[in-house]
Amino acid sequence: MRRSLILAAMAVLAGPGLAFGQTAGAADPRGWLGPFAVLVAGFAMAFAAGLCGLGQGRAVAAAVDAMARQPGAAARIQTAMIIGLALIESLAIYVLVVAMILLFVQPIR
Amino acid sequence: MDVIEHPPIFRLPGIPDHVTYTWVVMIVLTLVAFLASRNLQLVPRGTQNFMEVVIEQIQQLIDDVMGHEGRRYLPLIATLGLFILTANLESLIPGFAGPTANLNTTAACALVVFFAYHYIGIRKQGALTYLKHFTGPVPLALKPLMFVIEIISHLARPLSLTLRLFGNMVGGHILLAIIFFLMGLHGLIGWALSGSVPGAIVGGLGGLVMIVFTVGFLYPLKILVSLLQAFIFVMLTMLYISGAIEEADHGHGSDHGHGSGHH
Repeated sequence: MRRSLILAAMAVLAGPGLAFGQTAGAADPRGWLGPFAVLVAGFAMAFAAGLCGLGQGRAVAAAVDAMARQPGAAARIQTAMIIGLALIESLAIYVLVVAMILLFVQPIR
Repeated sequence: MDVIEHPPIFRLPGIPDHVTYTWVVMIVLTLVAFLASRNLQLVPRGTQNFMEVVIEQIQQLIDDVMGHEGRRYLPLIATLGLFILTANLESLIPGFAGPTANLNTTAACALVVFFAYHYIGIRKQGALTYLKHFTGPVPLALKPLMFVIEIISHLARPLSLTLRLFGNMVGGHILLAIIFFLMGLHGLIGWALSGSVPGAIVGGLGGLVMIVFTVGFLYPLKILVSLLQAFIFVMLTMLYISGAIEEADHGHGSDHGHGSGHH
């Protein structure tokens, strides 16, 4: 059941690539990888945003918990939280950069 | 990205946009510094007062993070912070390009930080002592492995500094451009002006909602992101520099104590 679902998903995903590849032919400078690159960029950004949100949510939850227990140390906790959030967020930013490379630069054709 | 984003209004032929607008940032910062220090007074007023508050805030931050040792590096840190903040905010002015939305500018800033903190560390501790601290407090057999891992993690620092600033700014610009230009001007408002009655109603209402959403939510969000990214860049710079300085004490402590010194 699961394998057939995966196969169906792969077929659906492969559809636009093959169709574009056949219709566009050699004249298209983007090649047959172009539609795949668009799909992959979108899905990559979706996964990265979701998981980055999960991670940042955990970090903020822990920080707010700590700030509620120790209001005196709120400023230091907030600074540490912002640095941690920046480090977590940079992982999603890497995916954004990769997605933009896939969309706009397309080094592999 | 030229497909969806409007090119800046002011362009010099043959010179890339981010260089032109870096010059604008430089002119603005030089002008503010000149105005602030032209007529120094004991009781500051106007521009001098404002700049003193800004510098005092940065100094307070340095004292909190690095201690009084860090005041020597105030020029480097404050210059980076003011430049990045001004460049980030400049990219929000309609018709202007943001220098920090280009990889070259952010990579230049990150490389300055990279070489600066290694230089500071080497000058503070000497080259051999500084290199020794890359191995960390581990048994002798593990030291080569730790050394390689540390080198890789140090090489990743400028990369992550570069990409974080660049990605945040470009991501925000693409978001604004898509919502305002593609969805708004080309889509909804174009539909409203197309002449059909339902298009005028739906497109007009949608265009109004879009303008309120952009001006009321996305712009303040971008201003917040600009401030936050400048703060984070400066904060990480301070952490890297204090790491390069402070490793001396930590290393000596673990050398003498061996096991009791570090935790």
